[in-house]
Amino acid sequence: MEAIRNALDFKDFPRIDLIVAGFVAAFLLAFPLFPHSSFAMVTMIQFFIFSVYGMGWNTIGGYGGQVDLGKAQYVGIGAYTTSVLLIRWDIPFWVSMPIGMAIAVIWSFVIGYPLFRLKGHYFAIATIATSLVLKDLFTIWPFVGAARGLEISPVKYPPPDFLRLIFKDDVYYYYIIFAFFVLGVLYMNWFRKSRLGFQLRCIKDNEDVAKSLGINVHWAKIKTYAIATAFVSMVGSFHACYIKNIEPDDVMSLDLSILIALMAMLGGAGSLWGPIIGAGILIPLKSYLKEWLGATAGLVGIDLILYSVIIMLISAVEPRGIWGVVEKARRRKRR
Amino acid sequence: MMPLLEVDRLTKTFGGLRANHDISFSIGEHELVGLIGPNGAGKTTLFNCLSGLHPITSGRVFFNGEEITRLKPYEIARRGMARTFQVYAASGDLTVEENVMVGCFMHTRSRSLAKEHAGEILKEMRLKDLGGYLMSELPVAAQKRVTMATALASRPKLLLLDEVAAGLNTMEIDEILTTIKEIHEGKKITVMLIEHVMELVMKVSDRVIVLDYGEKIAEGPPQDIARDPRVIKAYLGERYVREQQVNEH
Repeated sequence: MEAIRNALDFKDFPRIDLIVAGFVAAFLLAFPLFPHSSFAMVTMIQFFIFSVYGMGWNTIGGYGGQVDLGKAQYVGIGAYTTSVLLIRWDIPFWVSMPIGMAIAVIWSFVIGYPLFRLKGHYFAIATIATSLVLKDLFTIWPFVGAARGLEISPVKYPPPDFLRLIFKDDVYYYYIIFAFFVLGVLYMNWFRKSRLGFQLRCIKDNEDVAKSLGINVHWAKIKTYAIATAFVSMVGSFHACYIKNIEPDDVMSLDLSILIALMAMLGGAGSLWGPIIGAGILIPLKSYLKEWLGATAGLVGIDLILYSVIIMLISAVEPRGIWGVVEKARRRKRR
Repeated sequence: MMPLLEVDRLTKTFGGLRANHDISFSIGEHELVGLIGPNGAGKTTLFNCLSGLHPITSGRVFFNGEEITRLKPYEIARRGMARTFQVYAASGDLTVEENVMVGCFMHTRSRSLAKEHAGEILKEMRLKDLGGYLMSELPVAAQKRVTMATALASRPKLLLLDEVAAGLNTMEIDEILTTIKEIHEGKKITVMLIEHVMELVMKVSDRVIVLDYGEKIAEGPPQDIARDPRVIKAYLGERYVREQQVNEH
């Protein structure tokens, strides 16, 4: 009961935050009702997808301070589980999504156990490595379509198919991912106030102090990593139904891993709003930059340049991102 | 009566360096024991060994009737041994209240209970008004009180205090002395403290243990320790003894 109360309780935020959040929520809810281009619709759905990825990353990467650059492998596990189960056995999304989450969580325990013996940069590099190895395995594995990947043919399932999540009109996808997004926010609002959330922040602060306060640091990290994984895999499954065509180079790429981490860091690692702000800035920027510059001026890779600039800015100016700047200003004002 | 903590021939080496050698002592329930010695004598290493952060090279440690020699730090903490740290990384984004809540979460999953309990402890430690501040925003004296409050929040039977008076002025030392007495006498918690501030150690301790070059060179009531020639040579120095004599006359 207390958990549900905590999830729904945003009272510890200043009123201005809640007003802004209310307006944003109203806008997001009403967006499909206004005239919009299909490109804007796609961008909005991408925004939701990446917000939820970022929320997952934020548990272990933000609150726990363990920079994880291998989240794409769990996107892949979710996306592939849903695709394979649908294509081979006609198992609907609502069944395959939890199965994918379970597989991803089990895999996260397998690699989390040894990986969390490592610290700092070594941990970050190891997460990249495991993700790339899994990607390479999928690239040569015929059962999952090897390098060509898998394609869900919408012709077989006349839309709108709510069980298999096959729609012609993007507005269905919009509201479904919006629901995931809202659940994600509520979950994260509970998480940050939970015992595990507090313990992680203490671990990030000083591991020896955490240990001396009775926290099993290794297990706390593994548990949180599994939570992050479940988030990412869940949306990975959605991504498969939405895009309908997945391949290892796409859903398991290093670019994707970095983008997930980068967005949460830009918005503010270790804060509730951070990943949403990060996705809200970066996804439209990336889409429109690519659309305008990439296509017309032939500036392929402009988005990569943008990422590196952001990485430099975050590390030089404020490691806690945009939300870190806001909080610092507030603290200064209060004193 | 069985001692609360019993250390039997504890040795800790780092490569060729013997940081703790053959140290044995015991602490009874409700005792307050001081641990002194020159810099590098192995005092903090001993704390790290007791709380499990350093694996012990040889020897055994018993706590509350149970062997804890090979236990992990969190397992030892959950059995009722808490400690403070000399250097506290104050970079984090946990507020004072949240820090203390982490300690409270050792006994409950409920946030509201942890918050309530943390509130009581902050009040006891006279930190009530500082709950919303970050550690980095506080003066040293308050930071030290927060580390003590956090350790207390885990409801320990034995509290290890690592130089809680270092860097404080005379008035602040008096305050922390009062606090230590409250913890020891009021809350009936057994305390072991590392301290360089002699007047504090000598005033509060029931018994003092002296380390030098990783070995225990003396143990006894404070007044005996102050007159022990080995301790004077290794640590206290002739000046301290002269000052004490002046004070006595």
